[in-house]
Amino acid sequence: MDRTDPTIALLIDAAEKGDASAAQGIFAELYSELHRLAKRELYRQGAASLGATTLLHEAYIDIASRSGPSFPDRARFMGYAARVMRGLIIDHARNRQAQKRGGLFELTALHTDVPEHAVNDRELTLISDALDELAKTDPPLAELVDLKFFCGFTFAEIATMHNLAERTIQRQWEKARIYLYRSIRSEL
Amino acid sequence: MTPGNNELWQQLGPYLDEVLDLPEEEREAWLAAFAERNPTHAASMRSLLEEHQALAARGFLEQNPFELPLHAPHAGQQAGAYTLLSQIGQGGMGSVWLAERNDGRFKRQAAIKFLNIQLGGRGEERFRREGNVLGQLNHPNIAELLDAGINSDRQAFLILEYVDGDHIDKYCDEHSLGVEERIRLFLDVLAAVAHAHANLIVHRDIKSSNVLVGKQGKAKLLDFGIAKWIEEEGRSGDTSMLTREGEMALTPTTASPEQMKGEPVTVATDVYMLGNLLYLLLTKQMPIGAGPHSSASLVYSIVFTEPPLMSAAALHSDWQRTLRGDLDTIAAKALKKAPAERYASVSAMADDLRRYLKHQPIAARPDSASYRAAKFVRRNRALVAIGSLAILAIFAGLIGTVTQARRANDERDFAWRQVARAEAISDLNSFVLSDAAPGGKPFTVSDLLGQAEQIVARQNGADSGSRVDLLVSIGRQYWSLDQDAKARRALEEAYKLSLGQAEPSPRASAACALASSLARAGEHPRAKALLAEGIGALPAGPQFVLDRIFCLLRSSEVARSEGGSRTAIARIEEAREVMRQSPFQSDLLQLRVSMDLAEAYRVAGQHREASEAFARASTLLASLGRDNTQTAGTLYNNWALALSQLGVPLEAEKIFRRAIEISSDGNDETAVSAMLMVNYARVLRELNRSTEAEGFAERAYTKALAANQVVVVNQTLLLRSAIYRERGKLEQASRMLNEVEPLLHRALPGGHIAFASIASERALIAEAFDDLSKAHEFANQALTVAQASVSAGGQGADYIPVLLFRRSKLNLLDHRAAGAVEDASKAVALLKRAVAPDSFSSNLGRAYLAAGRALSAQGKTDAAVEAIRLAVQHLEKALGPDHADTLAAKSLAAPAVKNQ
Repeated sequence: MDRTDPTIALLIDAAEKGDASAAQGIFAELYSELHRLAKRELYRQGAASLGATTLLHEAYIDIASRSGPSFPDRARFMGYAARVMRGLIIDHARNRQAQKRGGLFELTALHTDVPEHAVNDRELTLISDALDELAKTDPPLAELVDLKFFCGFTFAEIATMHNLAERTIQRQWEKARIYLYRSIRSEL
Repeated sequence: MTPGNNELWQQLGPYLDEVLDLPEEEREAWLAAFAERNPTHAASMRSLLEEHQALAARGFLEQNPFELPLHAPHAGQQAGAYTLLSQIGQGGMGSVWLAERNDGRFKRQAAIKFLNIQLGGRGEERFRREGNVLGQLNHPNIAELLDAGINSDRQAFLILEYVDGDHIDKYCDEHSLGVEERIRLFLDVLAAVAHAHANLIVHRDIKSSNVLVGKQGKAKLLDFGIAKWIEEEGRSGDTSMLTREGEMALTPTTASPEQMKGEPVTVATDVYMLGNLLYLLLTKQMPIGAGPHSSASLVYSIVFTEPPLMSAAALHSDWQRTLRGDLDTIAAKALKKAPAERYASVSAMADDLRRYLKHQPIAARPDSASYRAAKFVRRNRALVAIGSLAILAIFAGLIGTVTQARRANDERDFAWRQVARAEAISDLNSFVLSDAAPGGKPFTVSDLLGQAEQIVARQNGADSGSRVDLLVSIGRQYWSLDQDAKARRALEEAYKLSLGQAEPSPRASAACALASSLARAGEHPRAKALLAEGIGALPAGPQFVLDRIFCLLRSSEVARSEGGSRTAIARIEEAREVMRQSPFQSDLLQLRVSMDLAEAYRVAGQHREASEAFARASTLLASLGRDNTQTAGTLYNNWALALSQLGVPLEAEKIFRRAIEISSDGNDETAVSAMLMVNYARVLRELNRSTEAEGFAERAYTKALAANQVVVVNQTLLLRSAIYRERGKLEQASRMLNEVEPLLHRALPGGHIAFASIASERALIAEAFDDLSKAHEFANQALTVAQASVSAGGQGADYIPVLLFRRSKLNLLDHRAAGAVEDASKAVALLKRAVAPDSFSSNLGRAYLAAGRALSAQGKTDAAVEAIRLAVQHLEKALGPDHADTLAAKSLAAPAVKNQ
């Protein structure tokens, strides 16, 4: 796995210099990295579930410590990682949806390993698609939703991460929420 | 503005930042100013802000953060007393692990199967209970279930006997077994399934990977009953999503047509799957042919396409020759698309295979076109006639399989018959309720009943056991349609026939059903003797669970009609306990029992408990998709009755309407039961819609009289008396009472609450005639009767407060203010106990009104004002603002306030 560590640092570097394909690469690398870390945590902790926030913290410490001083700062890393985290969650939701549809005769209908939540899988997918749209025009706003909604960071944590007032973060969050609702409401 | 319109979003974004930064209370002013400086976007900004508030209120996107799925077992983990060693399988249900128990003295290996479900609360309890049931399946060809457990993270697992072997098809191929050897091995599988069926358990997921053959060549069937369990738990998920997105993602090739169509799974499903397995063992192919299949084509071929004969599918020509003929016929019969056309039992299939091995003729017939056509007509006629019987009856009723099973005597076949009986009824129920009921209005049910009776009468060939069942079914149907005379005729005949029966089940069900019918006609001594006889006929033992529940429910009905409401509740709770302890699970049975329990609460005057129980039963009914059926009609009627007795007639009226709509056809009331009509009339009267009430009550009376429904006749007479009295037709009112009193004495035991009702009506008429002393006499009499009834465990607890506030009013007219206050306060205290806090009741309102009047006469103005204020509140909410009682309370409230 050691090879992934410098890769992520290099890719982030390239992406920030304008290399579009590097952004794709970051996603793929981080995705498998998060997968690996989740599995490792499982064996470390016994069979418990793992919060998204904890996993991202673990990931940062893990990757940064092995990548040396050139590794990007925490805020930048979290920006990328939160997007990937959303991908993990959405893939899981899609998978679960597929199983539900088959539930009629494949008898494994339920995977309740993600706790019941207020937002159903379909809505989740819609939100994710809308976020991709938002990221095209207002990347910081989209990142904020990834951090807050999908990864469970608090306003205070995000404010510290970006060195902004908590109030500002909250206001942006409210704005993003209106945007997302408007994007998906016709399909709800 | 939508986000699709990004330009506008860009334009408004800064303004949105600006206004969201302001405290809530300053935003309105900001919007006003904004309208001045930017009129074009003012409206958009306002709607954005409104949306913001709505989303904040809803908590949109504010739920708990996600957690990642990490519930995977791993080596070294504990599961119960076992330690996981290595993963040996990964299936749809979850992973399977080889595990070891080591308590120092000996080691034992087991397979641990983790189920992909997490349990909470009741699921956990049920899981443990079902684990016990499965654990009782002891058979050499069934992998033993050693234990069932739940991890600290609520993951359920099963500890199973570890079978070190191969899937049966692989085993057969690797050992190059011939046709006869394969059939002998397969017969062991049949024995295992038959054993489970005899214990009321259906496998529903039989496939080659669930049958392992160990090194000694012994077949072991895995996963009994687990599939059903998982499927049911799985259903609690988001099914609306399922129907909306209807495509099939996963497509196991062994599913039966009924599973594909979402129809009930029965023992016939196992027969089908066994046919599948036999086909695979003898042809090395699945009946649906070699894959891969797309989802759509798979569904289509399982539901519609007849599989090729085995002899055509087999790969080798010598096997083709062996399979042609009897083996082809046996597999085809097991693989019929219609469950009813398959082998009626696994044993029947096994018998045919054994006959084949012994070169005897088999019982299954190959289909010819004319044979098929004749069968189709016969089958459909039976469904039409018997189907109608199954609407309410759960126990009685039968199809061909039952008739066959009656001839057998040994215990396994007996248990099988119980399954077949229940399964048949459940199948018919779903057929009738889903297909027949919405189109065929209930008067058709009555027609069909008559038809069914004739068929039974002509059925000379049928054995008398099944005729008893059929007659009991018909009788119960008539009973539930309030056609008492016809019910009694059918049930008397059933009883007479049952006396010659050796088997206890028909004897018990006929005696108990007749008892309930007799009780309705007031013949309680004979009813009780019959109950004792029926229940006495049933030996102990789980095979008679259904009959025992049936008899307990009937004896509850008898107790209820006799006024013994506590006994009635106790009987149903007993039935529920019997049901809980039995391995037999049926939603319909559960529904029946929960409806009866709700009804018993209602009759006992525990209306709050009753309403809640009815609401629960109604949810259960709707979840079974049966909210437009006669059962639903009955439930709504009883629920509404509880609501009206709880003092919320406005609510009750709505539910009664639903009940009436189910059985009426436009303006045609033919099929609406007279009982329902009189109940509805009562609530209309309560709501002061007296003209309508009078009409309904009179029509109900005519109808009940024509059908000789004694109970309804009596009730309509009582109700009409009250309506006439309120409309000032006092003579007519009196006449009704004189007519009903002797009838009631004939039908009811002395001291029944109905006599309190008559006395109270007499008191009110005397009051209207200004004969206060006579009114007092009757009012006291009414209370004496009611109190005696309640302390004897009978009905009337809910009626006492009504009698009290009525007497309070009378006391006031008689210038006995202290007595008036006392009666009214007692009424208020009793009703407050019966009415849930924060809900409203017309009777409580009336009691407060009486208290207000009495207190005001005593000069206790403050207390009076408060009582009248509460009266207005309750009456307004329960009866509506324009109801006469509400207006009366309001008119008192105004001067009372002025006096202060």
